[in-house]
Amino acid sequence: MDPILSIRGVRKSFGDVKAVNGISFDVRKGSITGLLGRNGAGKTTTIRMITGIFMPDEGSIEWRGSASSSFRDEVGYLPEERGLYRQMKVTEQLLFLAQIKGRSAGSVAARAETWLRRFELWDKRDAKVEELSKGNQQKVQLIGTLLHDPELLILDEPMSGLDPVNVKLVRDLLKQLRDEGRTILLSTHMMGEAEKMADDIVLVHGGEVVLSGSLDVVRASEGTNSIIVEYDGDGRFLETLPGVVRATIHNNSAELRLDRDADTQSILHAVVPRLKLSRFEVATPSLEEIFIGRVGVETLAAQTAAQGGVA
Amino acid sequence: MNKMLAVLKREYLQAVRKKSFIIITLTMPVLMGALMFIPSILAVRGIGEKKIVIVDGTGRLEAAVTKPREAPPKKESDKGALEKEVSRTKARNQAMPRFTIEYVNAAGSDPKKVAEPQFARLDGRKVGDEKKVDGVLVIPGDVFENRDATMSYYSRSSTDVIAQERLGRTVNDEVQRTRLTSRGIAEAELETVLDRVDLDAVQLTSSGEEKTGGELNFLVGFLFAALLLIPSLVYGMEVMRGIVQEKTDRVVEVLISSLTPMQLLSGKILGLAAVGLTQLTVWILMGVIAAVATGGAAAAAGFNAFQFLRPEIGAYFAVFFILGYLLYVCFYAIAGAVCNSEKEAQQFVQPVMLVLMIPWFLMMPIIMNPESKLSVGLSLFPLFAPITMFVRVLVSEPPFWHVALSIVLSVGAIYGLFWLTAKIFRIGILSYGKRPTIPELWKWTKVA
Repeated sequence: MDPILSIRGVRKSFGDVKAVNGISFDVRKGSITGLLGRNGAGKTTTIRMITGIFMPDEGSIEWRGSASSSFRDEVGYLPEERGLYRQMKVTEQLLFLAQIKGRSAGSVAARAETWLRRFELWDKRDAKVEELSKGNQQKVQLIGTLLHDPELLILDEPMSGLDPVNVKLVRDLLKQLRDEGRTILLSTHMMGEAEKMADDIVLVHGGEVVLSGSLDVVRASEGTNSIIVEYDGDGRFLETLPGVVRATIHNNSAELRLDRDADTQSILHAVVPRLKLSRFEVATPSLEEIFIGRVGVETLAAQTAAQGGVA
Repeated sequence: MNKMLAVLKREYLQAVRKKSFIIITLTMPVLMGALMFIPSILAVRGIGEKKIVIVDGTGRLEAAVTKPREAPPKKESDKGALEKEVSRTKARNQAMPRFTIEYVNAAGSDPKKVAEPQFARLDGRKVGDEKKVDGVLVIPGDVFENRDATMSYYSRSSTDVIAQERLGRTVNDEVQRTRLTSRGIAEAELETVLDRVDLDAVQLTSSGEEKTGGELNFLVGFLFAALLLIPSLVYGMEVMRGIVQEKTDRVVEVLISSLTPMQLLSGKILGLAAVGLTQLTVWILMGVIAAVATGGAAAAAGFNAFQFLRPEIGAYFAVFFILGYLLYVCFYAIAGAVCNSEKEAQQFVQPVMLVLMIPWFLMMPIIMNPESKLSVGLSLFPLFAPITMFVRVLVSEPPFWHVALSIVLSVGAIYGLFWLTAKIFRIGILSYGKRPTIPELWKWTKVA
């Protein structure tokens, strides 16, 4: 399918900090594209260049194949830094947000009601934003992002701060919008989230794209060389087993990355006597595993230590 | 355009609906009225009254100081002038503190010695049955003969120049009369001899009109300069607060991704200008109602401001008001864009405002000499032009090309400032970090 948005070799520096160092990728129309990376990888700067907040130092951003920047009214943008006018009433706020996208208040009023009802906010339509809970404020802002019926939705960490029920609500909503033909660019550092929703992924690290493409293709290309275990007991020995390259150990679960010759059967035998297993699955690696494999644990640690810089 | 209108409408409605706006709009004229009238009411009620002991070494001045002479009647024929004189004297007397005089005849003894026991009363201590006094005036016995004689006025503060001047004048007046009569001038001729000649300032307009009462030029000049300046400062501050608020509310990123900085900026600035106009309109209406209700009290007081209000003045006021507002508001917008808290922004903007207010501090010389090099220079320098030029137009008739050039230069400066502000706005508004230095600001204008 044709890309609706193409990022072509964009760079952006802030003083000596190279926030984005030559990023290129396409966003297909009608897809959900996950823009993934750690904090400080350059996701937000990339997004701010797409939304016209920053001008790239180099490179171009093409909308439907042309490099004009006049598509901002067709974009709905939910920034990572959430914020609404605290003193404004919910409905007024929403209508204002649609108006600055070039829609008339009258043309979106009915849509506003639909969305407010869907997000269970209709009762609060005349409340001031500051009177709402944080989660509700976030839902209002999400509605504000959608209300002008944008072609492209750019959402920066849309799930953060939402409770599980609302996370599901938003996830279903985004899939529905995608199915209706809208395009969504989803920036997140939560790989699990992206895995559940994204059709395509763009993995950025240190201001560069390290991996991109359709999620299925990316995962298939990594091969079936992971084992997922869930268990009771102390699983720290898992990474010392023969054939295990790396173990990502959580509470009572682990993902083991295997080398090519590893024998899954012998690993199973080694694990059974030492842990009470509830799951043992040979699988394609998770996005998180792929990400860690690409970026490297050391660079991650080093980067975490040197956090800061431009997000 | 529609986007800008959306911003304008939002800013306007948000500001106008605030309780504080409604309260200030409705109570400010009442407060201002109170501020103007309370002092005169206090004066009438005698709260500004002073109690003074006069120790008279000559023993001949009791009548003069306890019963001040009436203002001498003017020539009967000139009735208009008479009325004017009376109203002027009245105004003068009102502005002065009233005295309660306690007269002590010290003829034949050293008045200073006689006065000394009274000094304790300056602190409010009782001497006999007498209470606190505010001052003690000592008149030496030889004032009529000795040209070097000096009166002394004792008080805890020497700042009451009005009281001193008035006491001195009263005594001097009597001394003069006594000296004249002792030199053979008949009592009846005294008024004629002492009569002063008044000077009327006449402003001659280019169309040959004559206007008098020019001393009021000061008042009118200051009043209009304040009317021009204060709303700009108040609403400029509002623009600044609004921008800082958008930063702290973090709503700005959505705004900038939807609007050009110019749309956002002009929407805000015009929205608050509309708020200001609303407020002014309410105040003017209230003023008109008050004036009608009180039957034109201002006219009764002999204050004829309208002679300065040529028809074109209204148009000039509007033009220079708008220019001044747009000029000042840019600096406030920049401050709001580069700072992260209201406090910080105010610190940032204060020195700039002091510079911009230079014409206000120089108002006296500008009004007194509206065609001087200083006045002309300030009225043509874009940052100072709106106030200075308007005041010049108000109190004088500067050549038209001065006015035109001043307007053109101001428009140019505003255009440049808007451009600069929009540039700085775009970057500054997203930077939550440390406040940028001036060189960094300059770099921003090139980056964005």
